[in-house]
Amino acid sequence: MSSRHGDAGDVRRLDASMTLITEFYRRPLDPGYALTAERRAAGLMPPRRRSGVASLVALGLVLGLGTTAAAIALRQPVGQASEARRVLESQITARGDEAAALQSEAVTLSDEISKLQAEVLGSSDDSLRAAMSAGAVEAGSAPVSGPGLRIVLSDAPSTGADTTGRSDQRVLDTDLQVLVNGLWAAGAEAIAINGERLTSMTAIRSAGSAVLVDLVPLSSPYTVEAIGDSVAIQTELARSSTGQLLATLRASYEIGVDTSSVRRLSLPGVGLTALRYAAVPADAQALKSSGAPATVTVSPRASGVAGSAGRAGGNGQ
Amino acid sequence: MIAVIGLVVGVVAGLVLQPTVPLELQPYLPIAVVAALDALFGGFRAMLDGIFDDRVFLISFLSNVVVAALIVFLGDQLGVGTQLSTAVVVVLGIRIFSNAASIRRHLFKA
Repeated sequence: MSSRHGDAGDVRRLDASMTLITEFYRRPLDPGYALTAERRAAGLMPPRRRSGVASLVALGLVLGLGTTAAAIALRQPVGQASEARRVLESQITARGDEAAALQSEAVTLSDEISKLQAEVLGSSDDSLRAAMSAGAVEAGSAPVSGPGLRIVLSDAPSTGADTTGRSDQRVLDTDLQVLVNGLWAAGAEAIAINGERLTSMTAIRSAGSAVLVDLVPLSSPYTVEAIGDSVAIQTELARSSTGQLLATLRASYEIGVDTSSVRRLSLPGVGLTALRYAAVPADAQALKSSGAPATVTVSPRASGVAGSAGRAGGNGQ
Repeated sequence: MIAVIGLVVGVVAGLVLQPTVPLELQPYLPIAVVAALDALFGGFRAMLDGIFDDRVFLISFLSNVVVAALIVFLGDQLGVGTQLSTAVVVVLGIRIFSNAASIRRHLFKA
């Protein structure tokens, strides 16, 4: 080594690259203390003047006050954040309660409407009333109850509450769509998912990790309830491609599929439906002098149901 | 020693009055508190070493806080705020740590 560098004193210290850290470890104390102590021992320190002491006290006051204020202020933001969260939480619950109240009001009002309708029609013919109530069941506007089938789809157990699990081990909107269409095809009369009644206008789609049924976000497990002849429906399902899908979900994706027939299911109605399209029936048209069909178009509403003809067209495929 | 009494009075006054820190100063508070802790530990150790001087203590306290705040400010202006803050925290943390170890040796002889 010396042959290359010539001078033995030139040898680098082993920790030369860590001088900063070594410095801090060896001499963590402010050198000013030692210096002042030396000067005092040597008698070099001039006696303090009164103004110097006063300014020191003032400095101490300011520093103590400032540090305390800083420490207090640092504890504050946590409180503010939780405060903001509380406000948001209360707003969410308030809006949720409001929505629930409005929903129950809508249900009450639609009950009243159907009662009034029954009263009005009570005096006229029974066949019209039967047609009306059958239509209400098919359109999903009236609550129904009866024997049926309950199928519970649940996400694979490996999927956590957050996004940790694989997304294909969750129940997807398409799974529910296929299942519902299969149920309709197998002869179900009325279907609800997690208490959301399906109508011809109900969309099942996904938004993020949530599945929206009629714009209501649902989460696993999804309870699909279908009213109808449960044995016949089960047989039809097993025969169709829907049964294969359910088997695949269970086998390949660990999605829980639990089928049970229930003696009595009661599904809610969607309540009020908005009239979107109306035409004068053919026999009534004959009475009219002019041949032009009188059609009435009503301003569309998102969750409206266009009468009893909708189901076969929308979901029965 | 009288300056330390002033500091204590200041702390008590801060606890009683609960002054609010202006919002613009908020980013500098964590670093300033760490710097203040460093000065406190250094002062305590100097006291145990028998070389405590209140003037040195207060001035190192002030300069620590001011320099720490300046470094954070500079880092913010350069766009490397968090990295520089980390550097300050590491340096001051090492100093606090070794001062605390020295205090421990003084107090417990171990």
